[in-house]
Amino acid sequence: MIEANTPLLRLVRTFWPLIILSLALLIIVAIVDFTGDIILAQTLVEGLVRIVIVAALYIFIGNSGIISFGHIGFMMIGAYATAWQTCCPYTREMFMPGLPVYLLNNTHHFIPAILLGGLLAAVAALITGLAIMRLSGIAASIGTFALMMVFYSVYLRWSTWTSGASSVVGLPTTTTPWVGYVYAVITLAAAFLYSRSKWGLALRASRDDEVAARASGVNVFRQRLLAFVVSAFFCGMAGGLFGHFLGMLTVDSFHLSMTFITLSMLVLGGMQSLSGAVVGVVVLSFVIDVLRRLETGVGNFSIPTSSAEVFVGITIILILIFRPSGITGNAEIYWPFKADVSASAAMKRQS
Amino acid sequence: MDYIIQTVISALSFGSFYALGALGIGLLFSVLRLINFAHGDFITIGGFALIVPSSAVVATVLIGGFHPVLLVICVVAIVIIVALLSYFLVFQHVQNSSPATMMIVSFALGYTLQNIILMIYGGRPKAVNIFPELTGQVQISDGVSVQILQLVIIAVTWILLIALVLFLRRTKVGVQMRAAAEDFRMARMLGVNGKSVIALAFILSGLLAGIMALLFVTQTGVLTFRMGTPIMLFFFIATVIGGMGSLVGAVVGGYAVGIVSVVLAAVLPGDIRIFRDALVFLIVIIILLGRPQGLVLTKSAKDRV
Amino acid sequence: MLLSVDNITVHYSRLPALREVSVFVDEGEIVCIVGPNGAGKSTTLLSISGVLNPTSGDITFDGKRINGMSPEAVARAGISQVPEGRHVFTTLNVEENLRIGTSIRQDRSDIEKDFKKVLEIFPVLAERRKQAAGKLSGGEQQMLVIGRALLTSPRIMTIDEPSLGLAPNLVDRVYETLLELRKDRGLTLLIVEQSSERALKSADRLYVLRSGQMQLEGNVADLQDGEKVRQAYFGFEESTTDDDEVAF
Ligand SMILES: Nc1ncnc2c1ncn2[C@@H]1O[C@H](COP(=O)(O)OP(=O)(O)OP(=O)(O)O)[C@@H](O)[C@H]1O
Ligand SMILES: [Mg+2]
Repeated sequence: MIEANTPLLRLVRTFWPLIILSLALLIIVAIVDFTGDIILAQTLVEGLVRIVIVAALYIFIGNSGIISFGHIGFMMIGAYATAWQTCCPYTREMFMPGLPVYLLNNTHHFIPAILLGGLLAAVAALITGLAIMRLSGIAASIGTFALMMVFYSVYLRWSTWTSGASSVVGLPTTTTPWVGYVYAVITLAAAFLYSRSKWGLALRASRDDEVAARASGVNVFRQRLLAFVVSAFFCGMAGGLFGHFLGMLTVDSFHLSMTFITLSMLVLGGMQSLSGAVVGVVVLSFVIDVLRRLETGVGNFSIPTSSAEVFVGITIILILIFRPSGITGNAEIYWPFKADVSASAAMKRQS
Repeated sequence: MDYIIQTVISALSFGSFYALGALGIGLLFSVLRLINFAHGDFITIGGFALIVPSSAVVATVLIGGFHPVLLVICVVAIVIIVALLSYFLVFQHVQNSSPATMMIVSFALGYTLQNIILMIYGGRPKAVNIFPELTGQVQISDGVSVQILQLVIIAVTWILLIALVLFLRRTKVGVQMRAAAEDFRMARMLGVNGKSVIALAFILSGLLAGIMALLFVTQTGVLTFRMGTPIMLFFFIATVIGGMGSLVGAVVGGYAVGIVSVVLAAVLPGDIRIFRDALVFLIVIIILLGRPQGLVLTKSAKDRV
Repeated sequence: MLLSVDNITVHYSRLPALREVSVFVDEGEIVCIVGPNGAGKSTTLLSISGVLNPTSGDITFDGKRINGMSPEAVARAGISQVPEGRHVFTTLNVEENLRIGTSIRQDRSDIEKDFKKVLEIFPVLAERRKQAAGKLSGGEQQMLVIGRALLTSPRIMTIDEPSLGLAPNLVDRVYETLLELRKDRGLTLLIVEQSSERALKSADRLYVLRSGQMQLEGNVADLQDGEKVRQAYFGFEESTTDDDEVAF
């Protein structure tokens, strides 16, 4: 058995869940890249973008215990902010005539554009979080829900900047499997580091017992706000990736069903663990993909149109009935070799 | 003056409709702590029950062609059955989970129901015409005329409210339900059957949804598989504003939302009016910040929220 | 034996709140469980009532196994609990609160008789019949919940800290009432208290529970000097510290 006594091994063990998750995704991406199957690659990129979203959701929801229905709003903010900088130089004025002159005439590179998109989402989270993070429990969840609706309604009507109810098309499709992979790993690393940081610890303490956390000097409001802003930043980036995956944007895609599918992925995997976030995305993306394929027909066999969605809904209900704390039961992937008890106990977080 | 009367009646009728919806959600929240996002889809099902299941472009009326009394009974019965099934097949098995998990389950249920409708009936909107005589106007004084349906909505709402109050105050099961809403565990320890009380709440909530389906389809004349979602959002806001779990609060919240949205539509200048929905949700956030328990405070809501 | 709790272990999360606890109650007895805060007394009563499920052990009532039964089924079987902290339905009026107690009964005429009797025992409740129960004083609420539990017509009533938050003279009244009820109707009582003083006066038998484990069981007649109870209550280490301030 491997004893973790060299500094390198100790490091590996500390970051074990992150390493395993990145390697597993790497293998999947490499295989898909090797097969060259275009449809499979599409499914993969969609899944990787969802990993970014769900890992970002985990930063706030997993650590604070507050279900947020608002993060898809931040995703939308990031998506449009990125599109303002990168979209369709020749038709930009047609889709979004209200943009300031600078944005109409300049096109930014994808990477700074996406970072700025994330930043704008983070600023929006900071401003709104100053108010909403004062709420607790179900009132906080409802507040974030209302927030999502505010963002949605504003973007839907603000058509000179967003094309409103119609779509912005012609975004460069920059998000390839490898690009998606890099962003997914960066987000997972950020989520992992955050949850192991002193801020992550303090926030989880407030999740498990708010009164006790306050009593031991944790400023619950400030910790929540920090997590809210950080997770909004990554949601914003996910929005940018999403737009550059589809090549187009509509406000309608950032509404209830996206909110619901991503939250389901988080809850299905196990809301309080990062591994759960990834497992939830992989499992649900897989189920959705298989059903979509069945819907279009495999050989002579096909299932009726939109029965895929019906099965997805039923799958979510069944998993929540039979595994209320998710597929991973809220545990992280832990060091598989014989290790001292304290370390492995530290890896497996208590529910 | 005419304009004001028309606006008032319109606000009252919107408010009544939202109050009924908020009650349907509030009833379930009070006994089960469930925010049922599938409630809007119960209403959709009530609407689609009127026509023959098929994806044909032109809808063929089925129940919609029955004698009015039979029509109402059939639609309401179908929605009640759907509500009961959703309790026994789904919610019963997650009733000890956190409210947030139950909310996601209800989302999943709504999503499933919508797609079942889509699968059976197809995605095209379908025209259905029931109770056409109600969509006419009636003269209530010189030069002031209002839609009959608006008056019917207000009347039906108040009849249902009074019936509900009598039921909750005067009948044995009604009193048991109020007790269970306040302290579910204590009520059970005194022998109140928890399952029947919750089932009853689902029946009442289905009854309200069925009647609302009829009112809504009479008003719009169209069926779409997603028609429940936007109205559900307003019911939800109304419930939150009134105070989760308080039935009086649900009614107050319903009227508040109805009146605010009609008044905003009437007074806002044109280019801001398009942002009305955003304003309504902003008001929700402001109310939450000021009174996280809602406008009408109940003891049970205080313990729960 | 009317009620027997046999070696039950109860968990809230991972740590057990009760470890192999046994209690038995004979028909017509008054049995008292005492113990310090967090001993597991309320947990014991909630397990009997079916609110909590023991991870091991059995609870039998009148020869039938009742663990795993729902709270309402346990209530129907004839066990009525007055839980810690009163739990009146504040938005219901006094009469409605009492009527909830009768929801499991079919014997119409007896219900009315019992209803009158409860109002006779607690005349305050008769005066306040139509008033919201939330507006009653603490003592009145305590009477209401006892009356309400009585109206389920139980064979055994379990009461969690009847003296909590009551003035001493009111505590006396509650206990007098309970003793009378036993005399008049042969009611069996299982009472939980923090202090053993009252238990030693009124009960037939006494259990001492501490840290989830049963420390002592005995007839009250044999425990009158209090030393054994004191030792069981505080554990042996502390028994030497003769602290008069601690009225246990
Ligand atoms: N809902 C709960 N969740 C987790 N632990 C609990 C819960 N209720 C009680 N406990 C724990 O179980 C143990 C026994 O609690 P219990 O309420 O039975 O004590 P008690 O003897 O009634 O105390 P008191 O005299 O203060 O009422 C305590 O350690 C308590 O912290
Ligand atoms: Mg106790």
